Amino acid sequence: METVKLEVFRYDPEKDKAPYFKEYEVPVEGTLLNALLYIKDNLDPTLAFRAFCRSEVCGSCSMKVNGKTKLACKTPMRELYETWKGKPLKIEPLNHMKVIKDLVVDIDKPIEKMKTLIPWLVPDPRVVPTDPMHESIIYPEEMKAYKDQIHCMLCFSCYSACEAVEDNERYRGPFAFSKAYRFQVDRRDIETAKEKRIRYAISGGLWSCVQCQKCLYVCPKGVKPAEDIQNLRGQAVRKGFTDKPGAKKLKHFVDWIYATGQINRLYLPEEVYGNREAREKLTKAYESMGVEVWEVPKPTKGLMKFRDIYLEILSREEKALELDFSHVRKIDKLVSDVFKADICTIVDKVHQKEEKTKGLIGRLKELFGGSDG
Amino acid sequence: MVKVGFYQGCCFQGQDAHMFETMKETFRRIDVELELLEETTCCGGNTIDEENRKLSYAINARNIALAEAKGLDMLVSCNTCYMVIAKAKLALDRDEELRREINNLLKEEGLEYKGTSKIYHLLDFFRDVVGYEKIRKAVKRPLKGWKVAAYYGCHVLYPKEVAIDNSDNPSSLQEVLKALGAEVIDDYEHKDSCCGYHSFFTDKSMTLKKLNKILGSVKKVGADIVATPCPLCFKSFDIYQTNMEKPPMVPSSFLPELMAYAFGLDRKSSGLAHHLVKVEKE
Ligand code: SF4
Ligand code: SF4
Ligand code: FES
Repeated sequence: METVKLEVFRYDPEKDKAPYFKEYEVPVEGTLLNALLYIKDNLDPTLAFRAFCRSEVCGSCSMKVNGKTKLACKTPMRELYETWKGKPLKIEPLNHMKVIKDLVVDIDKPIEKMKTLIPWLVPDPRVVPTDPMHESIIYPEEMKAYKDQIHCMLCFSCYSACEAVEDNERYRGPFAFSKAYRFQVDRRDIETAKEKRIRYAISGGLWSCVQCQKCLYVCPKGVKPAEDIQNLRGQAVRKGFTDKPGAKKLKHFVDWIYATGQINRLYLPEEVYGNREAREKLTKAYESMGVEVWEVPKPTKGLMKFRDIYLEILSREEKALELDFSHVRKIDKLVSDVFKADICTIVDKVHQKEEKTKGLIGRLKELFGGSDG
Repeated sequence: MVKVGFYQGCCFQGQDAHMFETMKETFRRIDVELELLEETTCCGGNTIDEENRKLSYAINARNIALAEAKGLDMLVSCNTCYMVIAKAKLALDRDEELRREINNLLKEEGLEYKGTSKIYHLLDFFRDVVGYEKIRKAVKRPLKGWKVAAYYGCHVLYPKEVAIDNSDNPSSLQEVLKALGAEVIDDYEHKDSCCGYHSFFTDKSMTLKKLNKILGSVKKVGADIVATPCPLCFKSFDIYQTNMEKPPMVPSSFLPELMAYAFGLDRKSSGLAHHLVKVEKE
């Protein structure tokens, strides 16, 4: 029978001075949970871990394998064996929570954090009948808005893998934002509660998410916290919470992409943090190295039609921000100053008169020629 | 010669306007012709989704349709653009109604999203289309004695639906670096931490903490340089690093720069000479 070594984290705070790892040889078959049960039944009954349903329902068996968060009852040993090429598998408890014993962690903290986001329905009496004899109907169409989020089983895989939890103590956790969002899009929930949730989400680190997508990767239930966080950010901005850097960043993206088809990294520091120096400093630094710096992106040929599509979608859809046309005009002016023509002319002609580019290509060709071999 | 549609995103503008020429030359040496998809726009940077997700899908349906109109697959050289475009493709391929709605808008430009073009990132393109052997053969100046820390960045590994490698234990970046003759370091404490690029303008403190961890752990293992296949991770390492209180001054590079240099381009034209944190290694 094929076997693999598990190096399992052991720690009993009541007895052990420090955590240590203990090795067990287990068969490469079934799931990781089967392997742990194998240890408990055959090798070491003192090993502590949580598991109940054995079928991806209860959410209690999440842990780390070689640093990666996995749900033990969902993870085939064969897959782990192949991923790690037969090397020993280090099994550890989840991150960011206190260890109670071995692989068992204390989940109180993330639960408490989640509660601060009001993850329950605050019924709107205009929608939900106050008379308990009357049904409160939800139509299938409405449920679509939160059909993924309701599957969260509080396994804390995402909380363990989250980059924002790692570096921001206040950060509520991916799942917590998904729970909150689920009620933000529930018609039965009262507007005042929605408003509060947004405020609490902002103070709970809404803008600290780095969008690493690890929460999507580790979630055994297909919840997409990173996307719910984007949705919540959009709601925050729409509700007028526009003073945060993240809201200004969004404005930069919305206006610049419409205006030029691109964002402009040179102007971001100025538009988000009011830092004008950054652009000048950076430009100087690069120019001193002999790098040509383009202050604005080159408008592309299809730009005007692109703008039409952009506007059309925004006119139909719920959005965070309105396009700021005075900003767009300013951007247009920056572009026409660089290309010495108005924006429509540039878009038509830019392909014929790319003098700057030609200069660049020519110089690079020289460089390539001189360096070859 | 393989021809592929090249999506440049926002990465080849500003101070990097010259980088496309470098890429083109670098790829020519491994028998790949990059055809610039000129009319494409920014993918929305995973931020336009906050404004409206359908807008993000539409922008990227258009981007992909521009490659399809030329009958080309699409090569994306940025982790985030790759993730955003690949996610849009998934959504469009799965949802007929969405596809129809967006195609109705694209019609005006004579475009249609069909779902016929494949989306590649640098790493799977090198592995599946070019082959490491071809890269090895193009090397004229092996990176002998270069201790290079391999750093993937998040968006080529997560989420699973768009990952281009085994997300838990990837190897495609190490393979390219090995082909260039470098000594690869792929075991350092924070190799899987996020570079923090995307939080620089939402919560700057996050970025600086991330950089401190990653670059600190790179320094600890004695690497000469960090190599990443993502131009945004590279910007985070090279530019945002200088915003740290005590920058560890760890040099970094965007993978194609190292390839260009190993293929014989000089330090200027490979881009290696133009970093804020100087690359000293020769
Ligand atoms: S995307 Fe945001 S919420 Fe999800 S794991 Fe990363 S930092 Fe955490
Ligand atoms: S969102 Fe997914 S990973 Fe996070 S706690 Fe819920 S089920 Fe677990
Ligand atoms: S044992 Fe219940 S989810 Fe794994």
